[in-house]
Amino acid sequence: MKLIHTQSLAIGYIEGRTNKVLQENINLSLSSGEIISLMGQNGVGKTTFIKTLSGLHKRISGSVYHQDRLIDEFSKSSLAKQISVVLTEKPFAAHLSVIELIALGRHPYSNWLGRLSTSDKQAIDLAMSQTNIDYLARKKLYQLSDGQFQKVMIARALAQETDLIILDEPTAHLDLSNKIEIMLLLKSIAGSGKGVLIATHDLQVSLQLSDRLWLFNFNRPVLDGCPEDLILQGAIDQTLFPINNNIDLTTGTVKHLDERKGNVLLQGDPTMVHWTAQALQRNGYAVNKDTPTSITINCLNCLWKLESKDTSTSFDSIENLLIHLK
Amino acid sequence: MAGPFILGISSGSGLGVALVIFLGVEAGLLFELSGIARSWIMVCAAALGSFGVLLAIILASARLKDSVTLLILGLMLGAASSALISILQYFSQATNIQAYMMWSFGSLGSLSWNELMIFSVIIIIGMIMSIGLSKSLNALLLGANYAESMGVDLKIIRLMIIINTSLLAGTITAFCGPIAFFGLAMPHIARMLFNTTNHLLLTPLIILIGGILMLLFDTVSQLPSMEATLPINAVTALLGAPFVVYLLLRKRNIHYTFDK
Repeated sequence: MKLIHTQSLAIGYIEGRTNKVLQENINLSLSSGEIISLMGQNGVGKTTFIKTLSGLHKRISGSVYHQDRLIDEFSKSSLAKQISVVLTEKPFAAHLSVIELIALGRHPYSNWLGRLSTSDKQAIDLAMSQTNIDYLARKKLYQLSDGQFQKVMIARALAQETDLIILDEPTAHLDLSNKIEIMLLLKSIAGSGKGVLIATHDLQVSLQLSDRLWLFNFNRPVLDGCPEDLILQGAIDQTLFPINNNIDLTTGTVKHLDERKGNVLLQGDPTMVHWTAQALQRNGYAVNKDTPTSITINCLNCLWKLESKDTSTSFDSIENLLIHLK
Repeated sequence: MAGPFILGISSGSGLGVALVIFLGVEAGLLFELSGIARSWIMVCAAALGSFGVLLAIILASARLKDSVTLLILGLMLGAASSALISILQYFSQATNIQAYMMWSFGSLGSLSWNELMIFSVIIIIGMIMSIGLSKSLNALLLGANYAESMGVDLKIIRLMIIINTSLLAGTITAFCGPIAFFGLAMPHIARMLFNTTNHLLLTPLIILIGGILMLLFDTVSQLPSMEATLPINAVTALLGAPFVVYLLLRKRNIHYTFDK
């Protein structure tokens, strides 16, 4: 089921008396169960797009539909039952407790005094157990780490019980393990039948977990497709790295251009080969895994055996191997 | 840090009252009207004055993101109102000036029962509105964007807040005179005592604590050994100003942000 779609939408903002258009002719759609990453360089209009979709920002032209109804037809509170957001801004009230903050997500459902009914409380409990933050319930916001805070804000969006959740850079400032945890959480949220849209700069994580990518470019049309297709078409390269082309498209990592120190043939245990190769490349060696060269390294049982010409030396760590090669 | 006195809202309603006292008397209006009609005019003028100042501040706040600048704007509006009042005083008769001076000292005791009727009706309406606004104010704790995404209609809520504040501040100022620092200090005291940011709890608590403290201050102002009563405005300012200084020293900055 299509949760949201846009029709020749133009986004931007008013600058003086003229419209500053960031993106135009956007025709995209997101269905339930899908997780989509929105990528592009800074200033390309990702946040503006997100705010436009969620009704927080005026569009310049075109239309946004929520479940086939034009966004303007919704009242503020009925729109709040369709779409919830996690933004980059932090709340003013650092003294709010986690449970109070999540309870605010029930705003569109509670009565005029904001009293919580049994079903409100159930939704809050469910949101907290889905995000695994039950243990944080009584903490104040200023006591949370960045990762915990992000999970709390996601729980608040879940408590809002919307079909669509939009997140603006949910993994910014997080360490790798927290990034992965958040992305897996979002994946499971999408798995429960909701639609998830993420604006992000995390290439590797979003390549692996998104069903589709939306790529925003300066002065070029928006691209929409399966991440792997977009990689093969070179679209990711053009969108995200227009200036330096040192990105290895097969892995999404930085390519090593400095390979002037020579060639090394690397053999042995696959895991050891992988990390030894990375260390050698960083230090200026080109690594290959089949063609014979002047230097051969065999990795087995946590021992590195270096063979060059007639000599053969063993090392018990990559560090010692590198010292020898220098 | 934003109280009605600091933001110039009280001064705005002071200007309204001054206009009624000085110009109204000149025109011979007040003598012809009965007591109740006169107090209604005072209330309306005071509410309109505070409404004007509040409207200016809210309009400016859309452009200014910095709360310090907003406070300075409030002080400027207050200063402008005071200047206008001075001009009015300069061209007025001595009796009117005295009437205005008496009013500006503030007093809790100079109301007739009829006036008290009007006063209580408006205040009760205002208090109910304040409690009704609690839910949206709670959502606004997360910032305007989050509040809007949770279904708060910012335009309507802003307008309601303006109307309610000017009604409450205007009425109280019209009847009791400009009472300084009280409105600023109460929410902070309530928050310090009860450690909550939930407006649904805070609003009734502030009303209660405010009422209790005001009675206490009024008792202090009626010194036992003396016939005369100290102006309530002087008492609240004398006790309130040190408290505000204490708040400033404790917080170190005015922004209510994530820093502990």
